[in-house]
Amino acid sequence: MTDTPAVSPAQSVQSVAVRELFTVGRARSLLALFAGLVAVVVGIGVLGGAPRYLPTVADLLLPMELLVPTVAFALGYRPIASDAERGELAVLKTYPLRVRDYVFGVFLGRAIALVVMLLVPLVCLGGYLAVTSTETPSLLATQQGADSPIIYARFLLLTVLFGLTILALSLAVSAVARSRRTALVLAGAALLFVVVVVDLLILRGFAAGRIGSDLLLVVLAVSPTSAYRGLVFETALDTPGLAVAQASVPLSLAGLVLWLVGSLLVTAAALSRE
Amino acid sequence: MTTNQTTASRSNGASDDETALVADGVTREFGSVTVVKDVSLTVRRGELHALIGPNGSGKTTLLELLAGIRQPTTGTVRVEAETQPRTIGYLPQRPEFRPSFTALETLTFYASLVDDDPEALLSRVGLSDAANRRVEDLSGGMTRLLALGQALAGDPPIVLLDEPGSGLDPGMRARMIDIARSLAAEGAAVLYSTHDLALAEQHCDRISLVDAGHVVETAPPEALLTDHDTTTLRGVFEGVAGGSDDAVTVLGADR
Repeated sequence: MTDTPAVSPAQSVQSVAVRELFTVGRARSLLALFAGLVAVVVGIGVLGGAPRYLPTVADLLLPMELLVPTVAFALGYRPIASDAERGELAVLKTYPLRVRDYVFGVFLGRAIALVVMLLVPLVCLGGYLAVTSTETPSLLATQQGADSPIIYARFLLLTVLFGLTILALSLAVSAVARSRRTALVLAGAALLFVVVVVDLLILRGFAAGRIGSDLLLVVLAVSPTSAYRGLVFETALDTPGLAVAQASVPLSLAGLVLWLVGSLLVTAAALSRE
Repeated sequence: MTTNQTTASRSNGASDDETALVADGVTREFGSVTVVKDVSLTVRRGELHALIGPNGSGKTTLLELLAGIRQPTTGTVRVEAETQPRTIGYLPQRPEFRPSFTALETLTFYASLVDDDPEALLSRVGLSDAANRRVEDLSGGMTRLLALGQALAGDPPIVLLDEPGSGLDPGMRARMIDIARSLAAEGAAVLYSTHDLALAEQHCDRISLVDAGHVVETAPPEALLTDHDTTTLRGVFEGVAGGSDDAVTVLGADR
């Protein structure tokens, strides 16, 4: 991968992204995962009780904290490690393809696949809620606690942002690992760390008094899962009468974006070394 | 460099109008193991140049250094060929591609990075009839031809081939050498590693003998035969590399 592109950087990114989309579209395991995700999301929404946006978001939040990282890691742990293992990464170094264009192309292709995988079931469920809801939803959601498709739309956006963040993290794992087997092990460890370990550490630190109340919102923003959960609580499940803030919206958003951008930079740095 | 270099090999590192690629005092270490040791080598335009040496002698690492895939620990690799979007085409020793892609889709990806025509590349390596065959369904020889098509994408002026004929039947090997020969005839600088001494002797303009990380000698096949007072390249090879077919020399194995 050199610094003198023959075609425009946008064309290079597009070529790499299209290759990723083709790969995902032909991976039976990912298609099976997608089918499972659709079944779980629609199942929770349909069987979850009252067909309203607010309770549905509340029902979906915890499962999505596990499902989104699982799908994102499944999509992202492999492409770069596989290219490295097959020697295609070495061959690509002889092409006028910049490392950053390769990384962004892989991310873009996988991100499109992830967004489709997340949005298809969630939008289908949103459609179901719109049709079956017995309440007249408030489109503007001007009142706290009012049921509204806006609440659901915010949840969708935050879920996509959370997914993209974990996808970027999984690409970094893939780039650092450089082999499929190592990438699988690292991805499993990273998944466990992001979904369970960080939350437990924060909880333990808070319970032991090592993390004070003044620092809690900052610490919660550092963990992608906590940041996602806090953002959903603050912007979609903002219930009246809850005096304590669940998260700082700017800090949590910044936390997710920093994880995303930082992971892509780590990916590029890992590929820039020999 | 070892002491038994010929005049031809000592002249390596210098450049002239025909020079496409120059390695100058290139050394490559992996930890405490030195795999390529102070190699100076010139690859010329319009020339088919073979690297011959025992397994584990550092040929692949040397090709990777020349291709820019690895960086030398010391020394420099200099490209003197005309500037192209893609200057060096590279065929790895064990080419692999993304499974589930067809041969045409695979070359479409690589060709798109250099604005080339994937169907023309397939045709050039004789794989047009296998265009829609998935890469996992290609034979070893066809996979290697597909990889050669990849190496030619963007019409690079320098082509480096790592054992292009390895594991191929005689017909496929002849096709590979024909393509390499035609590339050189069109003005490309072609350097390839091989264990096929007869084919190298018959087709190459120059041969570099590699042993234990050194380029021991570089000369036209006839000059090598004369210098070593032998009638076959095998005789030269055995003289330079010690002639043992019983064991593979592993660099760093004594550490």
